[in-house]
Amino acid sequence: MSIEYNPKYMKHFYDPVWESFENGFWEGIKQRKLLFQKCAACATFSHPPRVRCAKCKGDRWEWVESSGRGRVYSWTVVRQEVHPAFRVPFEVILVEMDKEPGVRLVSNIIDCTAEELSFGLPVEVCFQEVTKGWALPMFRKVVA
Amino acid sequence: MSLKNKACIVGIGSTEFTRNAGRSEIHLAVDAVTAACVDAGLEIDQIDGMSSYGTAGIYAAELAPDIDVARSLGIPNLRYFGQTPWGGGACCGVVAQAAMAVSSGVANYVACYRSLKPASGTVRYGRPTAIPAEYRYSYYMPYGFASPTMWVAMLAKRWMHETGATREQLGHVALVCRENALRNPRAMFYGRPLTMEEYLHSPMSSEPFTLHDTCLENDGAVALIVTTPERARDLKQKPAFVTGVGFGTSRDSHSMTSFYRESIGLPECTEAAREVFGMAQLGPKDIDVAQFYDAFTATVPMQLETYGFCKYGEGGAFCDGGDRIRLGGELPINTSGGMLAEAYIHGMNMIAEGVRQVRGTSTSQVKGAENVLVTGGLGVPTSALVLTSGH
Repeated sequence: MSIEYNPKYMKHFYDPVWESFENGFWEGIKQRKLLFQKCAACATFSHPPRVRCAKCKGDRWEWVESSGRGRVYSWTVVRQEVHPAFRVPFEVILVEMDKEPGVRLVSNIIDCTAEELSFGLPVEVCFQEVTKGWALPMFRKVVA
Repeated sequence: MSLKNKACIVGIGSTEFTRNAGRSEIHLAVDAVTAACVDAGLEIDQIDGMSSYGTAGIYAAELAPDIDVARSLGIPNLRYFGQTPWGGGACCGVVAQAAMAVSSGVANYVACYRSLKPASGTVRYGRPTAIPAEYRYSYYMPYGFASPTMWVAMLAKRWMHETGATREQLGHVALVCRENALRNPRAMFYGRPLTMEEYLHSPMSSEPFTLHDTCLENDGAVALIVTTPERARDLKQKPAFVTGVGFGTSRDSHSMTSFYRESIGLPECTEAAREVFGMAQLGPKDIDVAQFYDAFTATVPMQLETYGFCKYGEGGAFCDGGDRIRLGGELPINTSGGMLAEAYIHGMNMIAEGVRQVRGTSTSQVKGAENVLVTGGLGVPTSALVLTSGH
């Protein structure tokens, strides 16, 4: 089931903030693009972004647009409310991206019940407007 | 040069554990440190060092800072003060730092403490209301992914999938901790038994967890006094030697949101295990009783694996039926009830229980216990201790 935001509490919405070395990712989000950090020297992907590549210690990066395809690596179904801004139940998924080795992304799934979720379920990104300022990358099932 | 057996814990003190302590974090810390001094046979003014927790990374500033606790105790001077960050991950590190301070002569008697009042105060560790706008949370909060229970549930769900561990096996962790609490009059759950039936029918909070899979929320403080073995000879109690200490992170450590490693396991615990057992020159087979950080049931079998008591994938089966982890089993765990059933004091109560096992004074005493493993919180930078009778 899609995450449902309670408009009464949207003043509590957590506006993303980021460090300078994460600009590429969040500037991409603003343009509704999913960009991941890729080392210009050794082609290793990194998410969340870092200052230096964990593998070769290089600090030159490319921001590569993702196909947006991935698979559900893990998930939780939240059934007890912790903040009234988010109506329960809702699902949080951890997606392992298909084309970017080692990259996982936390998000919500918008077209799936808790019962339909499974390990390895193929999903694809879709941007969902959450506030006037923010459309966030969320996921939906890949229809075969 | 090694820190092995260069320091010992000579005093333990605690406030009551309660839903409403009716006094501040500073007040609770002062009461716990005072009790620890009485237990050790020390004058308060002999305390010349304090080792405490830093911020947990996600919550408000420390509410019982060392300088305020020292002032309220009337301590004239702190020759050493230091904090170890990352919430419950710190707990054994707080003692490790105290051991480093006394063994190097920077201070003589260091008080370690943790004081929390999430049950009646403003900072609740299970709730997101106090989480500040820090960059690392931008990947989680907008998705409603906003509490430690959810974060650890994400890890536990994958671990259960990979290993085949079951809800019943997690239930036995909760039941064994509860059994231990029923023998411990200090415990929040003293007199309140739990059955597997109740466990399995409790509503999910964040799958795969229910209320019974998550730690208590209570007010209270626990303190320990650390000094050198030479000074310990003049004090009241049988000392618990700090025989091994270990810290650990991993290449992709985050604070509770370590979702990006190759394996979903707990590599920081593997690192801390190598350090703590290496210094102690002991291994899992030498450990008589363990106090595993149990903010969540699933992290107990996950630590059985990472601390080397069994292989990856065998932790769930280790807990099956509870016989191997209960009193009388091959590795009794969390003998005070742990944080699932005694109290949630960010692990400081579990170190105190480790000391009781070495002294022989636990309410769930393991006969002849000499070597005790205590671990810190995981999925965060972590720490561990081996406490022994110094044989």
